Formats: sequence, structure tokens, C-alpha cells
Amino acid sequence: MYTPWTYNSAPTEIIIRNSTMNSDEQQQLKSWLYDIATDRDKNAFTALFSWFAPKIIQFGIQKLNTESAANELLQETMTNIWRKAHLFNGDKGEATTWVYSIMRNLSFDMLRKVRSNREDTLSEDIWPMAEAQLVQEDSFDDHLMSSNLLKNIDILPEAQKEVVKGLYLEEMSQEQLATKLAIPLGTVKSRLRLALIKLKQQIGESK
Amino acid sequence: MITHHPHYELLNAYVEGELPASLSAGIAVHAEMCEICAKNIQRITEEAAANTFSDDANVYNSLSKKVITDKAFDNISEFDLMMKSIMEDDSITEMMTQEPLDVEIKGTTYPLPTALRSMAMMGWQKLGKLSRARINLNEGSLHTSLLHIDKDGGVPSHTHKGFELTLLLEGSFEDEKGTYVKGDFIWLTDKHTHTPHTKEGCLCYTVADDALQFTQGLSKLLNPIGKFIY
Repeated sequence: MYTPWTYNSAPTEIIIRNSTMNSDEQQQLKSWLYDIATDRDKNAFTALFSWFAPKIIQFGIQKLNTESAANELLQETMTNIWRKAHLFNGDKGEATTWVYSIMRNLSFDMLRKVRSNREDTLSEDIWPMAEAQLVQEDSFDDHLMSSNLLKNIDILPEAQKEVVKGLYLEEMSQEQLATKLAIPLGTVKSRLRLALIKLKQQIGESK
Repeated sequence: MITHHPHYELLNAYVEGELPASLSAGIAVHAEMCEICAKNIQRITEEAAANTFSDDANVYNSLSKKVITDKAFDNISEFDLMMKSIMEDDSITEMMTQEPLDVEIKGTTYPLPTALRSMAMMGWQKLGKLSRARINLNEGSLHTSLLHIDKDGGVPSHTHKGFELTLLLEGSFEDEKGTYVKGDFIWLTDKHTHTPHTKEGCLCYTVADDALQFTQGLSKLLNPIGKFIY
């Protein structure tokens, strides 16, 4: 089964075929994810669920062989989407890629449980998810300051408002704010990003 | 510069979650150090996602051997219940920031790659300039280890009964074919015989599916220690 699968020189960059997904569809998926993230929007989640469910079931049956395992994969994948939507960053990639990574990771851990009898969840270490990239991203600052977004601050949920106020009105650093609010630094960053998405939408609507 | 990279087929299997944890981690660690492979993995993932979720997925599926019964799709009410139960719990998952972990061997501290951080690692066993820590993944005949070779150490001429993946985490080593550096992803089979030696010392992540076989004269006497390294 294993062949000497290595290149002894630099591999060329892979050029992928034209995507089989059209961009309107990708845009729709992204906006559902954003609605889930910012408003816990149940209609958006229902739409997203209906769109992905049959495909996740198919993938699950192919990889895991049984319908009950495929159902478990669906449940776990959709639960992750519901709880992690705020970590999705549409600037970094498509919604399909993000959902695929979540689904593939869960299916890997499920398969490992069957094949190696291990309950560990190694997938999150092996495939560092998009959410980890967020840590390096600090480019919100200029957007917020320069574009007068702050005037709409009152539309934000309390938790996000608190973060935006702390960072921009009280001029604390993200680290200081995390300490003051006793929340992880990652939470400050994701609340800030959600706030930005929401404020941007507001600008769009008022035009 | 890194000159040894995983093949496209291997990256593809990695993206699809088909490889065992030991090899998946090897590719992940290589990609952390190799921009080209990281980029290619990203593209393969985008493509795999688009293919899996496009409407053509049905066509693809009818060609595969697994038959999808209609039952899975008829269970609308079951899906409805699942959806509702998910939305009942309003908690969100916060991002975790992880502290870096280290491994220490022979007085030197090395950072532990992210992909290996949750794996069960046994204690170091030492034999001269060689030290090995087994990583317990329970993958049958696949044996995964961290292997440290101290300065000016080496392994006598040997071959591999099955295959052996060596991923250089730190340092460098040479064999008959050339010099290998940090990040190199080296895949050897029973067709290869080599005598690795390191001047500066090195730390490797290894995955092998059978014991080493020593090939030259007196070093054949060492065959019992092949099991030590394997």
C-alpha cells in the first residue's frame, strides 16, 4: 500500500481545476455563517443545515460505512458550526473549505476510535484550523478608527460593545482588556471581529 | 533548504483524512516548515471541499462502490429534531491559545511540533549516542518515535524491511545520498540501504512499519538493536 511517496526536489505549486461551486452560492453560505455568528440566527442555521446535511451524510457513509456513524458525523459537524461560527473568517477562505475541515477532522477522530481504539482527538493538532490563524490577525484597528464605524456602537450586543469600548475608547491593549474582563485573549479577538462584521453590515444598510 | 517533500498522492490522502495519525502528523509537521507544501495542502483542501459539496457530488458518488440508501434522506423529522437540539444549547466554543511544549534530551531543549502535542509519549531509552522515545498511537505494525542522535553519532549501515519515514525536526544528518536538513521529509523502503551520520546532532520524528536490518559485516551482530530503533 505504501510507495516511496516523496519528491526529492521542490514540488511545483498545484493548480486546481475550476471550482464546481459558483460564487453566488459560496457568498450565500458565508452570509448564513455570519448571521449565525453575530445573531445566533436560527433561520440561517436551518438553511445551512439543509444545504449541508445530505452531503455530509454522503461523505459520512463513504468514510465511516454505516448510516448511524454518518448521522453522528452530521450531528457533530453541525454542532461545531453552530458553536464556532464566530471563528469562521470569510476573508481567509470559502465556507465550504471551513465546513469540510471540521467534518474531515471529526471523521478522522471517529475512524481512529474504530481502527486504533483510541479516544484521543488528535485532529485539531494535525490540521490547525482556520481559527488558529485568527491569533495572528490584528488588522481591525485601522478599519474601525478610520471609517466612523463607531457611531453605530449601540447596536452591538453587550459583550461585543464592552470589547470595542475598551479597545477604542479606553485605548486598552487586547491583552489588558482580556485581563480586565477575565476572558481569554482569543475571546477578545473573536468578539472584536464579530463586532466589526456587524458594524460593517450597518454601514451597508444605511447607504 | 528543504529538498525532500511528501508526494501529491500523500498530501491528497492527508487532506481527505485517510492516513493514519502517525503519517498525518508527519505531513503536518513538514507543512509547518515548508511553505510550498502548506500552500498546496490549502489548495487541495479547497478543491476537495468544493467537490464534496457541489451538486456534482451525487455523480461522483454513484461511481463509488458505496450505495446510499434513500432512507438517510427520508428522515426529515429526524434531521429536524437534530437541528433543534443543536440550537437549544446557545453556548459558543472559544478559541484556545496553547502554550508551546518542549522536549528535553541530553541537555538540549527542543520545541515540540503542534501536531505531536497531544500524543502519548513514553520515556527516553538511551543506547550510546542514540536515544528514542516511543510515541504510543496504537496503529498496529506502524511504530512512531522521536529519535535523537547525539553529535558525531550515527546508525550503522542498514535497510528497512518495510518503509521508514524520517522527518528532521532539528539539526542535520548525512548519508551516502547527501545531506538532510530541518524539515526534510525522507521516505525509505527496503530498496534503500544507508548509513546516516550526524556531525551537529539531530532530532527526528520517525514512522516505520518494520525493524531495521543491518547489512554490513560485523554490524549484522547489531540486528537485535534494530528493534530498538524501529
